[in-house]
Amino acid sequence: MRDNVLTLLRPRLLSAGNGLRSGTQKNRWTRLILFSFIGLVFWIGAFLIFYRVLTYFQSVQDFGDVLAMKLLSMMIITFFTLLLFSSIINSLSHLYLSRDLPLLHSLPVAIKDIFFSRWLGSAFDSSWMVVAFSLPVFLSYGLVYKAGVVFYLIALCAIVCLCLMASAVSSLIVVLGAAMLPAGKIRTLFVILGVLLALLLILVLRMIRPEQLVNPDSFASVVLYLNSMQALNLPYLPTTWITDAVRLALKSEWNNSLLNLALSASCVFSLIFINGMVADAIYFRGFSRAQTTAKRLFSPVKFRGYSWEGLLNFLSRPAKAFAIKEIRSFFRDSTQWPQLFLICALIVVYLYNFSVLPLDRSPIKTVYLQNVFSFLNVGLAAFVLSAIAARFVFPAVSMEGEAFWIIQSAPVSMKTFLWIKFFLYSIPLLILSEILIVASNFLLGVTPFMMFLSVLTIFFLVPAVVALAVGLGACYPDFKSENPALSVTSFGGVLFMLLSFGLIALVIILEAGPVYKIFMARMHGYAFSWIQILWFIFSFTFALFLCVFAVLYPMRLGEINLLKR
Amino acid sequence: MIELKNLTKDYGTTLAVNNLTLDVAAGEIYGFIGPNGAGKTTTIRMMGGIIEPTDGSIIIAGIDLKKDPVAAKKIIGFVPDRPFLYEKLTGMEFLIFIADLYNVEAQYLLCRSEELLKQFALWEWADEIIEAYSHGMKQRLIIAAALLHDPKVMVIDEPMVGLDPQAVRMVKDILKGLAAQNVTIFVSTHTLSLAEDLCDRIGVIHKGTLLAQGTVAELNLAAKTGEARLEEVFLTLVREA
Repeated sequence: MRDNVLTLLRPRLLSAGNGLRSGTQKNRWTRLILFSFIGLVFWIGAFLIFYRVLTYFQSVQDFGDVLAMKLLSMMIITFFTLLLFSSIINSLSHLYLSRDLPLLHSLPVAIKDIFFSRWLGSAFDSSWMVVAFSLPVFLSYGLVYKAGVVFYLIALCAIVCLCLMASAVSSLIVVLGAAMLPAGKIRTLFVILGVLLALLLILVLRMIRPEQLVNPDSFASVVLYLNSMQALNLPYLPTTWITDAVRLALKSEWNNSLLNLALSASCVFSLIFINGMVADAIYFRGFSRAQTTAKRLFSPVKFRGYSWEGLLNFLSRPAKAFAIKEIRSFFRDSTQWPQLFLICALIVVYLYNFSVLPLDRSPIKTVYLQNVFSFLNVGLAAFVLSAIAARFVFPAVSMEGEAFWIIQSAPVSMKTFLWIKFFLYSIPLLILSEILIVASNFLLGVTPFMMFLSVLTIFFLVPAVVALAVGLGACYPDFKSENPALSVTSFGGVLFMLLSFGLIALVIILEAGPVYKIFMARMHGYAFSWIQILWFIFSFTFALFLCVFAVLYPMRLGEINLLKR
Repeated sequence: MIELKNLTKDYGTTLAVNNLTLDVAAGEIYGFIGPNGAGKTTTIRMMGGIIEPTDGSIIIAGIDLKKDPVAAKKIIGFVPDRPFLYEKLTGMEFLIFIADLYNVEAQYLLCRSEELLKQFALWEWADEIIEAYSHGMKQRLIIAAALLHDPKVMVIDEPMVGLDPQAVRMVKDILKGLAAQNVTIFVSTHTLSLAEDLCDRIGVIHKGTLLAQGTVAELNLAAKTGEARLEEVFLTLVREA
């Protein structure tokens, strides 16, 4: 069995190796340096934050240790939840939807071997990032608590157990779900998952209620709060065993720590064993059902013979054709749905948080705070926009996939094709961003000047970010990818995120100085010098120039690259 | 109607097409045959405007594909060798999409698409998502889409791959009918019997170079194979190259 599983994993390993070797040496180094740099920044950032927080906790008398342990427990539960969802999505793709599965199932190997080879791939894909970024957290715990080498070994084993546990539970859910759902509806799992994820996110974020931190009245109940926190751990929950293994190792209580680690490991092995049995019994049945044609979740909506397409009649014919094709393909692809639900949930939480900010109870002057928040809100909304663009706009060109020949052979220039994509994504994102900005500013009750400035800044930033995404997506397309949405983690995707964040930061920095001066002048009633006015004009004009440049240049680069293909 | 002048495609490591010059008259069916990796698909993809030649030019009905690609593509019906389509659209939606790109008149589109879908035995599947189609059905849909705007030139790469015998006969008849209506057809194929049966003239390409072209009789003369079948002529030409 082991040999078969390893053999089945070989194409993946060889492909990864060949992928690393592909491209010119210069490209390889650029990719390696860029990814290492970003990884290192996140890694060091996570370490510094946790180290600082834990050092601070240590200085709090009596409660410091409880807080640190509570943080550890919360983090492990968060990791587990993240792993669970990411594993479900990965398991579904690896076990039922990958293109190479028909080939694997035609090979003379046991069904269990195929299952375990796919499960291992899925477990790796969904866990490596959590493992990588949990290491600085454990390092900071180890350093603050002056733990020895054994602690790090136990922590590493514990996090590996956590990942395998989440992956094994996820694959069980997926295999059972695939066997139970009607044939052709297996992709519905994505939709169910999306709704669950969105609900859970709203629930968790609202339960934390961060706005209470600025409410001095709530501090009276801290002792009670801490007591309730200590009583939260459920002894039969596997995440409690993991937490205890790490927690007790920190305190050098090796016997109890190893007992909890052993409990976790035995839980993992039991789950793997159960997975094997279930896979043997029903995995192939589910896979076979998944080969049936996918059924549409919703039928086309028509009202008195009119369909939604009529709303796009203002567009030129090719533009309308592209728009309809894009919208249909997008909404009929159920793998997009979890992210859509997630974005909706984030927007709800985003706006709700503004509505509950107790600005009047904070020690800082309300008018000042409202406007500072409003300005920060522009940056925050633009960063949210960047993330959405990275997920949905950057892969837009790659989404054409192997059908890109249709565009190449169609009587539509590449320039037109790219600009149609640009407008298709710019309009909904502009509406979304402006709603976010106007609604949050309205909830904050900002001055008309801040409202005007925020709306205007977003009006210019949205096209810039979208053009950057479309242009770079065209510079680094992947038409052969099984899941183009993942291209955001490619070199081009990371480059887009960096450039987009850089652009937003530059625009915000350019505006910050003049905005502060204008705001203070309004508050204190003084006039501006002509040097200040020149500075304002220069700052705003340069910010505008940056946005226009970010629209035109990447689009041109993208066009040149697509024409060269 | 089709003029290829000194057409060259150099991929850096491989010279896929080397100084290819040929022309095809209006209403002619030109077969393009050659072993695997000979440069057939590269030539076809350059003619479809999918890849750019390194050198040389492609003139379609007097329009230089490089200078005015949009105008040239409007009169070409392109059929690739692999039927990659927008899987989430239905067959009918795909045809409407193509019609919009090629500016096919809306009134004409409906009756024409129905006619084509019926002709290619896809009418009952018109409202099904393409994902559900078999390989052969996708291939038929692509051919139907390529005919939707009544092209003057058809550029087809391996038209019969994945088609059942009934569909093969149907496509052959359609291509012959199109040629009779003065549509120029440039078709690449591995099926020598098809080329022999369908094409007015045949070009043999090997390692990117055109070895010979003409009717089967002219190719026999070039290969000194008497009155042999195309298969024998082809093998002789390639062996001696």
